[in-house]
Amino acid sequence: MKAYEVMLIIDPSLDDDGREALLSKVRGVITADGGVVDSEDAWGKRKLAYEIAGLAEADYHVLMFHADAPTVAELDRVLKITDPVVRFKIIRRDDLD
Amino acid sequence: MSDYARKPKRKYCQFCKDKVEYIDYKDVNTLKKFMTDRGKIKPRRVSGNCAQHQHQLATAIKRAREMALVPYTVPVVSGRVDGRRR
Repeated sequence: MKAYEVMLIIDPSLDDDGREALLSKVRGVITADGGVVDSEDAWGKRKLAYEIAGLAEADYHVLMFHADAPTVAELDRVLKITDPVVRFKIIRRDDLD
Repeated sequence: MSDYARKPKRKYCQFCKDKVEYIDYKDVNTLKKFMTDRGKIKPRRVSGNCAQHQHQLATAIKRAREMALVPYTVPVVSGRVDGRRR
């Protein structure tokens, strides 16, 4: 398994329940195939450097995890079709292997 | 002082000095030190970074831009930035 990091920019209008449901879905995708979530960091609402989809601020979340390549591809697919996720980035962390 | 001002002293790569292995795109304050007030990446001749770290830094800044952590550009308000003509 290799180390990855995913950053999510979530629509700030999403309520707490919705956000928790979304994050547990993300965790579920990672752990479904033997992945491990190492740490989670909720930055909370942060001002965006420029407007995205009419939003001036958004909710940032960072998850560090270990997983295999197919899991990452699946996570990528799921996040792309998840509407409240305005933007996301999955990064391979060679230095944390 | 100008972003591109000449410094007579020999510069040394900050990241080599601090023995940085990975430049984190989430560390906005560090990235901003290597960007001009207009949001451009400072060239190596100004920052004094070594090739490896400048490359890593550029990647990190571009990632941070994509995630709206740092701006792509800072628009000019009046045609003048800190009293200088651009």
